[in-house]
Amino acid sequence: MSTLPAPLSTTSQATWADVNRDVIRTVSMPGDRYFAWMCLVALTLACGVAAWAWQIWVGIGAAGKRTPQMWAMYITTFVFWIGIGHAGTLISAVLYLFRARWRTAIYRGAEAMTVFAVMTAGLFPLIHAGRMWFAYWLMPYPNQRYLWPNFKSPLVWDVFAISTYLTISVVFFIVGLVPDVAALRDSSTGIKRKIYAVIALGWEGSDQQWRHYRRAYGLLAALATPLVLSVHSVVSFDFAMALVPGWHSTLFAPFFVDGAIFSGFAMVLVLMLPMRYLFDWYAYITDRHLDAMAKLTLVTSLVLSYFYICEVFTAWYSGEHFERASVFAKATKEYAWAYWGMYFCNCLVPLVLLSRKARVNTVILYVVSILVLIGMWLERFNIIVPGLGHDFYPYTWGTYYPTVTDSTIIVGSFAWFFILFLGFIRVMPSLSIVEVKEVLPHPLKHAASHGGHH
Amino acid sequence: MSVMDRRSFFKIVATTGAAAAAGGCGPSAEQFIPYVIPPDNIVPGIPAYFSTVCRECPSGCGLIAKNRDGRVIKLEGNPDHPTNTGGLCIRAHAALQGLYHPDRFRGPLAGGKPVTWDEAEKQLTDKLGALAKARQGARIAVVSGLETGSLGRLMDEWTRLLGARPRIAYEPLGYEAIRAANRVSFGRDAIPDYAIGDATYLVSFGADFLETWLNCEGYTADFARMHAFYQGKQGTFVHVEPRLSLTAANADQWLRNAPGTEGLLALAMLRVIVDEGLQVGGAADLNTLRAAARAGDVEGAASASGVPAETIKKVARDLAKSRGGLVIGGGMASTGSTVTDTLVAVNLLNAAIGAVGTRVRFGSALPLGKASPYSDVAALTQAMAGGQIDVLVLVDVNPVYALPPKAGFVDALAKVPLVVALAGRPSETTARAHVVLPLLHSLESWGDYVSEEGVLGLMQPTMGPVQVEGKAVVALSTGDVFLRSGRKALGLEEGKGPLKWPTFADYLKDEWQRVARDYGSSAPFGEFWEGALRRGGVWRQPASPAVVLRPEAGRVQAGAAKLQGDGTHALLVYPSSRFYDGRGADRPWLQEVPDSVTQVAWDSWAEIPTETATKMGLKRGDLVKLTSPHGSIELPAYPTDLVHPGVVAVAMGQGHKFPGVFANEGNAATGTSSQAGYLNVGANPMELLPGAVDPASGGLPHLAVKVTIAATGGRRPLAVPQAQFNQDEREIAQWVELGSARETELRGRPPEHANRPSMYPPVKYPEYRWGMSVDVDRCTGCQACVLACQSENNVPTVGKAQVAYGRIQHWLRVERWQEGAATQPVNMFLPMFCQHCEVAPCEPVCPVYAAYHTKEGLNGQVYNRCVGTRYCGNNCPYHVRKFNWFNYTWTAPLDLQLNPDVTVRQLGVMEKCTMCVQRTVAAKDMAREAGRTVKDGDMQTACQQTCPTQAITFGNLKDGGALVSKLSLSSRGYHVLEDLGTTPGVTYLKKVVRSEPAGGHDKPAEGHKA
Amino acid sequence: MAASANVLGVFAHVDTTVQAIRDLRAQGFSDLTVYTPVPVEEIEHEIEKVRPLSAVRLFTLVGALTGTATGFFLTIWSSLKWELVTGGKAPVSIPPFVIIAFELTILLGGLASALAALILGRLPKLTPSPTYDPRFTLDRFGVAVACAPDKVDSVQSVLSAAGAEEVRR
Repeated sequence: MSTLPAPLSTTSQATWADVNRDVIRTVSMPGDRYFAWMCLVALTLACGVAAWAWQIWVGIGAAGKRTPQMWAMYITTFVFWIGIGHAGTLISAVLYLFRARWRTAIYRGAEAMTVFAVMTAGLFPLIHAGRMWFAYWLMPYPNQRYLWPNFKSPLVWDVFAISTYLTISVVFFIVGLVPDVAALRDSSTGIKRKIYAVIALGWEGSDQQWRHYRRAYGLLAALATPLVLSVHSVVSFDFAMALVPGWHSTLFAPFFVDGAIFSGFAMVLVLMLPMRYLFDWYAYITDRHLDAMAKLTLVTSLVLSYFYICEVFTAWYSGEHFERASVFAKATKEYAWAYWGMYFCNCLVPLVLLSRKARVNTVILYVVSILVLIGMWLERFNIIVPGLGHDFYPYTWGTYYPTVTDSTIIVGSFAWFFILFLGFIRVMPSLSIVEVKEVLPHPLKHAASHGGHH
Repeated sequence: MSVMDRRSFFKIVATTGAAAAAGGCGPSAEQFIPYVIPPDNIVPGIPAYFSTVCRECPSGCGLIAKNRDGRVIKLEGNPDHPTNTGGLCIRAHAALQGLYHPDRFRGPLAGGKPVTWDEAEKQLTDKLGALAKARQGARIAVVSGLETGSLGRLMDEWTRLLGARPRIAYEPLGYEAIRAANRVSFGRDAIPDYAIGDATYLVSFGADFLETWLNCEGYTADFARMHAFYQGKQGTFVHVEPRLSLTAANADQWLRNAPGTEGLLALAMLRVIVDEGLQVGGAADLNTLRAAARAGDVEGAASASGVPAETIKKVARDLAKSRGGLVIGGGMASTGSTVTDTLVAVNLLNAAIGAVGTRVRFGSALPLGKASPYSDVAALTQAMAGGQIDVLVLVDVNPVYALPPKAGFVDALAKVPLVVALAGRPSETTARAHVVLPLLHSLESWGDYVSEEGVLGLMQPTMGPVQVEGKAVVALSTGDVFLRSGRKALGLEEGKGPLKWPTFADYLKDEWQRVARDYGSSAPFGEFWEGALRRGGVWRQPASPAVVLRPEAGRVQAGAAKLQGDGTHALLVYPSSRFYDGRGADRPWLQEVPDSVTQVAWDSWAEIPTETATKMGLKRGDLVKLTSPHGSIELPAYPTDLVHPGVVAVAMGQGHKFPGVFANEGNAATGTSSQAGYLNVGANPMELLPGAVDPASGGLPHLAVKVTIAATGGRRPLAVPQAQFNQDEREIAQWVELGSARETELRGRPPEHANRPSMYPPVKYPEYRWGMSVDVDRCTGCQACVLACQSENNVPTVGKAQVAYGRIQHWLRVERWQEGAATQPVNMFLPMFCQHCEVAPCEPVCPVYAAYHTKEGLNGQVYNRCVGTRYCGNNCPYHVRKFNWFNYTWTAPLDLQLNPDVTVRQLGVMEKCTMCVQRTVAAKDMAREAGRTVKDGDMQTACQQTCPTQAITFGNLKDGGALVSKLSLSSRGYHVLEDLGTTPGVTYLKKVVRSEPAGGHDKPAEGHKA
Repeated sequence: MAASANVLGVFAHVDTTVQAIRDLRAQGFSDLTVYTPVPVEEIEHEIEKVRPLSAVRLFTLVGALTGTATGFFLTIWSSLKWELVTGGKAPVSIPPFVIIAFELTILLGGLASALAALILGRLPKLTPSPTYDPRFTLDRFGVAVACAPDKVDSVQSVLSAAGAEEVRR
């Protein structure tokens, strides 16, 4: 294994004991500021829930949907969250297989993000459905009349793709947690110790446990990798399988996957930078990590720009009147702001990351990430709302206006995500103790006897 | 051509006789029907059909009312009735909402307070008795609607016995000018029947015969007969009007003239014909024509009207040469100061081209000829104001609304000591009456109506009195009110004397003894009577008397109408095809069905020329104030290229002012209550008109004032479901030039584009594949199909706000697409509904199989399986799927109209056209009993049945003999958005146009516009 | 063999731990349990010499194949129940079903692997082993030897010789 890149230890002097200390430190009684934030988030969430209740009561009409935009902000935000959910598994699985060791510092946070993002996204099909109380009909469950879902419908593919993705991500997440929780157990006392003991499943780090654990982890990663790529492809089929001009395109699968990774990394940065600051993790999340993530963001942004160009080009080159009219309308009609805003946020802004200075400058990185998140939301909005608003049939062309109800629900979904994430970082190690240690210099008595590890 | 629906025919035969015996009163709406001993002629679950006459306007179309378990749930045209031959207009369909209207009077009112019938009646009869005794009968006045049958005679008998003033048969749209002109030209005070169907070249001077003019429903059918492309031929229709009305939109050539210049144009044409010696007819006429023609001046007419001289000449020549010409005129919107001369000129033209006596038939004169002229109303108003009237009986009329305030009727009314209103529902007039006696709806009463000379329609109760809040309304039919009150007033008793009949039904039967003799029926009366009940009346073709042109006609004067006021624009007040004179405005159905030309639903609006609008910076929905010398109204602006630059047009019928269920504001989040508040919005253009009588015709001039337009700065956005009228080169509505249509018909159909290679296995249809064909060339855009569908399929109305926001629920919509020059477009009306595609984009995307393809080629939608993902709605390129955004409800008792055969859809499910699957199922049952498969004529869809022009044909595409199969292979056939490969089950037939519209031939969808 | 006694050596370094394992093996002590805070290549390498490869992958394979089979069976069988035609497509059209099969492959495969880690790793472990020390999740390595009581001393000597910080029984 001497082909592996050198661990990042060169920049940090932390010992294994430091790692335990620094991580376990974060899992302690939080301060007032934390609770203040939690209250704010909880309040927002409450508003969202109330709005949803109102919508269920009076009907989907409470949201601004109409003909032709029978889908609008809910599906937009659904796709957005699914996209966010991609970075985590990508980092923990794909980068794991590629042995990109810098991932160790960020993957736990990213995985948590993934799980919670998918849990948020999972709400939207329910919120969106006209009779959400029957949404379970999309599940294949045995029943006397042999009524099964229509497996030809992209929505049913969604159900399978997303539930699979959620399950595998959660499993992956928990498997990764077990040794760390063991460490927590050993360092804590009283009731906390008992609880962690249960979650740790009696992990001891014996060779017996490690070898099966490592093998399973590797296989999970191997399975998760195609899954990551498939999930957003399947989500993209919701559109690509439809007839709507601007949707019916073979471009969508790669286009969506790339966009997902793009937005996912932005979200990772948005979450990691404050944690690095608040938990004082400069020793573990170093400039080199930022640089690496920024580079990935930049690359995905460039790929995305390429897809945007393809989209416009094919519309023009096809000579298909509907396609052209659709693109033309997006760029010039009532939603032009969203269209150009998307280009600005997703194609222009990330270009600043071409300079190394920018890549390691936390402020710039943060601003870029926020803009990228906005841009990616706009991208989905542009596909759905203007796309439907200017499709085949001029009689029904129309403009969609958000209402208080659907806007509140959208904001509420963010609250839901953050309440989960904030909760997590206070009860679980949001930095992988084991994997960070792994890449630190292993303690050696006779350093001379090894020309550096590996 | 119109096939009588066999099923309904049998039902009529089976039931009407018994119905007659049982007084037609089936058990009333909310009674339970015991299955042990079912009441007469009501078999639970089996509809009974009663034929009667529609009384929503003076045309008097034949109706067949579908009575299901004691409630009338659907109205259809009576195919046997000569007036409408099976078609029905939107107003007729909406009669049901009048029948079940929540505002119906529960019982008599005196001074606004509920009283018993006898109390209320006593107030009237005491006064009548006193006056009669005192020989003061002249102080009694009766104003009723036009009643041409027995009821009219009864009321006249009543007035005679009481010595009251002659009854006024008041029709707001009286067409006095036509009669005046006929007096002058032919010495006949009548309105003839214009045989539009027999014409080959029709010129209309502002006669909106496809909307409200005279017998409009019948004329729509005739128009199809005359104008629809058939065997390579098509009649020509030229329409002269300052505004693109629905009628103008159907013209081959719309001459947009300056308001009030129709007379000049007519005379100019006469001049051309006479000068070029193209006229027919004898010498006697010739002198008259020559004399009249001298008044004609082509150049002058051209400059005054803005119609090019060349066009005038060409139309005149073609008209004369066609040898099948017909000229009509006198639409309400064109009744200016010179309308009588205009119509004399029209008569002269008809004489010149030999249409008089052949296509202008005084034999079968129309009932409107018997309406009292407006001058009589004015005279009565004077008498009232002068305190010469003590008792005024208003029978189902609303003059307070329909007359211009300047006519002074309201003030005069205040001077009458006792005003008694007979009416079914509240109105401005009943609000001012001292006593209100509730009337039964025409669908609940006996009666008869002469819809044209020789055509006597018979009315029978199609159901018992409606129950509101569980109690039947306390009401009588007009006839019974008059019989009772007459007897009481004169101290007569039942059984003897002039008013001996116990009920009006008995009177009617007696009258019909005479009818039987008239019509020379040899059969015993019982048979004759039952036959009439089944058929819906009796009819014959009376001989047309020869009429001669009188020399007086030669003295016709040419001149443009004089308009009062120094305003900038002439005000065009036109009767609306939706509300007629305003009597239908309280019905949600009529409010929600969009006006065909402007596509505006709900509210009322002012059509303002684009030039003016841009100059004033007005956008659609900006409020403008129209001010005439007589008043001013506020309306949202509707800028359009389709009116003459010097004109502002406002439709009659909106802006009512009286309380009612729909007059109160409600919570917009739920279905019907969002309709609340519409009743009193909009404005009544009559408030801008003078009340003065036009001396020449004795009518009320509607084209009389100029108005000034002022923006108020306010806004009231209009609900317009159609986003744009330009179809953006998408070939949704297609047309073909007459020449090539003829050619392709000879050559047969060009290669079928639809046969493109498919990756899917061929779909198998074991027995039926239901399909439709829609002839865009026949569709006049009357919207009747929309309401037929709405009433058949329990489609809710959703209110202005929802319609404005793209949530209109109609399963079927009539789109107007225009091509060519913005000011002179070719208009195409396209009924659009579920296309029942074979490769339906909506089906595979449904996750729960709620949308799927049936074995009979229908695009099925399982409501109770639908989860509401709305994916199908996105994926339907035609956007004909409607989602239940809210839980739509029907204000009681409107819910009694719901069709039990069709599910009322729940909150959160998708719905759409089913091609009336409930009718298909019934037809299959019937066919199975007869041991065969369903054939043409066994059933019709609701939209097909009501279409006056038979533009819609439904049937089994697997049956080669079926009409629909033939039409689907027509050389004009195409599928909407064919290139998407959805292979719809609905084939459209291209509209046939005379010349390529400016703006080029319809290009393939792959245009170069991006 | 009857392992009556356990000797634990606690190490601070990787190389000393590896040394200890090597020495113990040389002495014929094969019943070792090695505790490490993190998986360490060298140590695993040392251990893998005598141990068969982990059987987790078999679980994964079986799980995944079951998934594929289930996917195709469920979709095809249920479509045949009503044979509804949607959009002109045949009731049984394979391409869309591949997606379902794929997802189920991943799902069951993944769950099987996780399950394997538990079963083969003897997890959850209800009672901690006598030789376990909390430091093993921190920064110390442990080598526990099960041996006959009479061998204890020699084991201890081997461990301390290898450089154990602490040796206890």
